Amino acid sequence: MELIGLANYAVFMGILIGIYALLSLALNIQWGLTGLFNAGIAGFFAIGAYTSAILTSPHVAGRVGGFDMPILVGWAAAMLMATLIAWPIARICLRFRSDYLAIATIGVAEIFRLIIKSEDWLTGGSRGITGIPRPFGDLPYVQSQLAYLALVVIAVLVVYLLVERQLRSPWGRMMRAIRDNEASAAAMGKNVEARRRQAFMFGSAIMGLAGALFVHFNRSITPEAIDPMIATFLIWIMLILGGSGNNRGAILGAIVIWLIWSISEMLTDRLPTEVAIQAKYVRIFIIGLMLQLVLRFRPEGILPEEHKKKPVPPGRVQP
Amino acid sequence: MKKKTAGLIASLLGAALIAAPAQAQDARIALLGGITGPIAAMAPPMLEAMKLAVTHVNEQGGIGNGGKLNFVIGDSACNPQNATDAATKAVNIDRVIGVVGPACSGAVLAAANSVTVPAGVLMITSSGTSPQITNINDKDLVYRTVPSDDYQGRALARTIKERGMSKVAVAYLNNDYGKGLAEAFKDEFESIGGTLAGYSGHEAGKASYRSDLAELARGGADTLVIFDYGDGTGLVLLRQALENNFFKNFIGADGMRSDAVIRELGADNLETFFTSAPVGEASASLDAFNKAFAAAGQDPNTIFATTSYDAAFLMALTIEKAGGDKAKMAAALRSVSSAPGEPVMVGEWAKAKKLIAEGKDINYMGAAGEHEFDEAGDVPGNYAFFKVSGNTYEAIAEMK
Amino acid sequence: MTVLNFINFYIVPGLVLGSIYAVGAIGITMVFGIMRFAHLAHGDMATMGAFFALAAIGLFGVSPWMALPIAMIMAAVLAVGIDRVFYDYLRERPKILTVMASLGLALMLRSAVQVIWGVDPVTYVRGIVRPDSYFGILLRPRELYTLLSLIVIVVALTLFLKTSKWGKAMRAMSDNPDLALLSGVDNRMVTILTWSIVGALCAAAGFMLGINTELNSMMGWHLLLPMFAAAILGGVGRVEGAVLGGFIVGLVEELSVLVLPGQYKAATAFVILLLILLVRPRGLLNGKVL
Repeated sequence: MELIGLANYAVFMGILIGIYALLSLALNIQWGLTGLFNAGIAGFFAIGAYTSAILTSPHVAGRVGGFDMPILVGWAAAMLMATLIAWPIARICLRFRSDYLAIATIGVAEIFRLIIKSEDWLTGGSRGITGIPRPFGDLPYVQSQLAYLALVVIAVLVVYLLVERQLRSPWGRMMRAIRDNEASAAAMGKNVEARRRQAFMFGSAIMGLAGALFVHFNRSITPEAIDPMIATFLIWIMLILGGSGNNRGAILGAIVIWLIWSISEMLTDRLPTEVAIQAKYVRIFIIGLMLQLVLRFRPEGILPEEHKKKPVPPGRVQP
Repeated sequence: MKKKTAGLIASLLGAALIAAPAQAQDARIALLGGITGPIAAMAPPMLEAMKLAVTHVNEQGGIGNGGKLNFVIGDSACNPQNATDAATKAVNIDRVIGVVGPACSGAVLAAANSVTVPAGVLMITSSGTSPQITNINDKDLVYRTVPSDDYQGRALARTIKERGMSKVAVAYLNNDYGKGLAEAFKDEFESIGGTLAGYSGHEAGKASYRSDLAELARGGADTLVIFDYGDGTGLVLLRQALENNFFKNFIGADGMRSDAVIRELGADNLETFFTSAPVGEASASLDAFNKAFAAAGQDPNTIFATTSYDAAFLMALTIEKAGGDKAKMAAALRSVSSAPGEPVMVGEWAKAKKLIAEGKDINYMGAAGEHEFDEAGDVPGNYAFFKVSGNTYEAIAEMK
Repeated sequence: MTVLNFINFYIVPGLVLGSIYAVGAIGITMVFGIMRFAHLAHGDMATMGAFFALAAIGLFGVSPWMALPIAMIMAAVLAVGIDRVFYDYLRERPKILTVMASLGLALMLRSAVQVIWGVDPVTYVRGIVRPDSYFGILLRPRELYTLLSLIVIVVALTLFLKTSKWGKAMRAMSDNPDLALLSGVDNRMVTILTWSIVGALCAAAGFMLGINTELNSMMGWHLLLPMFAAAILGGVGRVEGAVLGGFIVGLVEELSVLVLPGQYKAATAFVILLLILLVRPRGLLNGKVL
């Protein structure tokens, strides 16, 4: 049993954890900071992924494409597209109360998924898009992965620093104020709707970037990658466990949950086959159970939000 | 808390390491299947078929000098995230010499592109049918024992046109399997003069497809071609079509050729129901597989059972021929699967081992076909046309 | 297309589907109204109810429709238990946490079904059933029973809510919980009753879906969004609204193939949902806007 193998696997895990950390940070802006229950993460992940894929992949008959743009252009376009599409959705959905917003965003993500599966001329339909270039893809296996990990880590660091700065800035304080006591904030003349939209679009841009990073790693994208379980709910659990409102918490949540997801897979593999198959379903049960346990025993997450004031319950006057 | 977590993780990983010692002579392969996810119902029999091949190998002398062929099972969950995770684990931690699977085309693309091809590990998939797989830049490391959708769709079009059905309606499941078959079918059917009086896709899991069927029936065809799974929505479609007297004849591809259809709908309602499926030309091989698989308590008609057995058995033959050397695997695979060579059939491990040891060339004739891989690692496939007979399917014609 | 064909292949399936959505939507609207949150585990509870019925058929050897009451009782007990263990302690916290808990619960219920009953689709009865013709309108017994069950459920529930003491208490909780508490309404009992009814309704919805198509572990999840669309369309907190919403969503879904490609059938419920939230969030029958 070689250490190289384990190290390789750790690098791979690092890449996936990095991508999930980006998604978790993005969700943190939307939920942790602004209180928006976005249950349609998969949709924005998909937009970023497919935009970058369409722009950077070679030509295929019957499909829009063949632009052969450089990879960085693809990533920038992914973020831009995700932001642009987030705008009308924000305009339409953000005024809803949080559980309606959750349902609406689930619906939006599902509509995106159906469009992606059905409109072949744009997305390749169920076949997906292949031949997507990968940065440092020509290097041998180990080096190529390490290089990609470096890219992902840089992306996570940049996003983290950016988001941290925003969080501690006056803008961040204002967002928290809006989240905790909307009526007072509005009374003070803050344009609540516009701020919320900003936060939503900001988060969506990062989700788009995560999608682009994912796609270039695998050199291909197919619609199964945007299944709600793996591309939305897992991230919610990461954020709740790690600590919503706290960026380090978001990253920690991604690490812990992905580790659990991955190790539970390894453990169930070791079981005899008949039991192994059942055990795979138990993994999902355990993830759902973990969410319950976190909500019950440590709802603020492992790393709680800093400077958090108790939210004012509706209907009561603050003394 | 963090230190404890780190310690826990380290000890779990350590346990995983200890649980996977490899003796010098044993060989290990990964069996990746879509155990959870959209094709969960089809995954267990495929894995059973692969395990049957491994059993045959180990019962008849094993690998090399009495070493065992071990396997690890991984769940690709039919999505790229889990597929790459399972493949990376298999390649790096379990140090497998070859990967059988994954099952879904999207998973194959992702796992091949980011793991097995860069790591130089051979991959044989038994159910990835998307034409995209042909185009992977794969350094000759990706193969499939199942023909691309393109072939089956076209062969089916030709066959039913020959049988006099020249005006049909097509209902396809909106995934890479159904869509791929439907597009190939449409292309071929229309180019040989057939008319498509209806062509519509559907998503899985809806409660009623009656309106879809009504729309399709409006075109006036009396034959419905269903590209879907008999273990899933295809069954619902067929049932609703039969119950409402839409269409007289029903055609399906290998996905529809499931025992669930006969069990749930009754053979006497299925007299005008025909399906296609890939078969081995050397019918003795297919018979041997059917017998062995049925003896193991499984249904040999299950989709991709034959291709899965072949993929695993071929992998074992390749390891034997390559002498356990990873770098020689691709060449060895081509050698054991192509003519010329002494024919080896399903279950004939001892014979194959002996011939390889003697340095003779062999040619594996599998349950699902002869597997003469072309340059891209694809197989053309042979198909047969089946009707329902009793409580199983019976081949009535070869499909060209 | 003849009128008869239109009725038989578009309207009738739409009505049957609508009944299924309606039964589920009633449960959702009750949870929205009385417990005040979006119950995301509703679909998977329906799956569980459907499989309870399957188990009842296997264990007691009864016919499917006889197994329905048994399944409804089992599901009622399960629902009350779930509330006690998973939702109760969150009652004083922001409702959004309960919504999250229900999401996790949906996953747990679904995987429990997968572990216990496996992932292969099953049906309550084998074989195909050709419909009977009633003056040219084709209806199968199971479809008739589905529609009848809906009517029975709606009538029984409406009577209960309007005339019985506990029904009035539930309506009071729904309209104004503080005032209801002041008037001496027993919160705990109302909660138990609500969940029992919701559980039973879930089982009915799941069973009706299963008997008209087939059972599989994802069946409830696919119902979830249409049911929410139906509840919100009709007006949150109004039982009649849920029924109306259910029929509209069911009919629109079946009729959608006339204008949209078949793949987008699944999207019609979402589109209805978004439209109603934009244009008239109170719903058609003026429910609450939470």
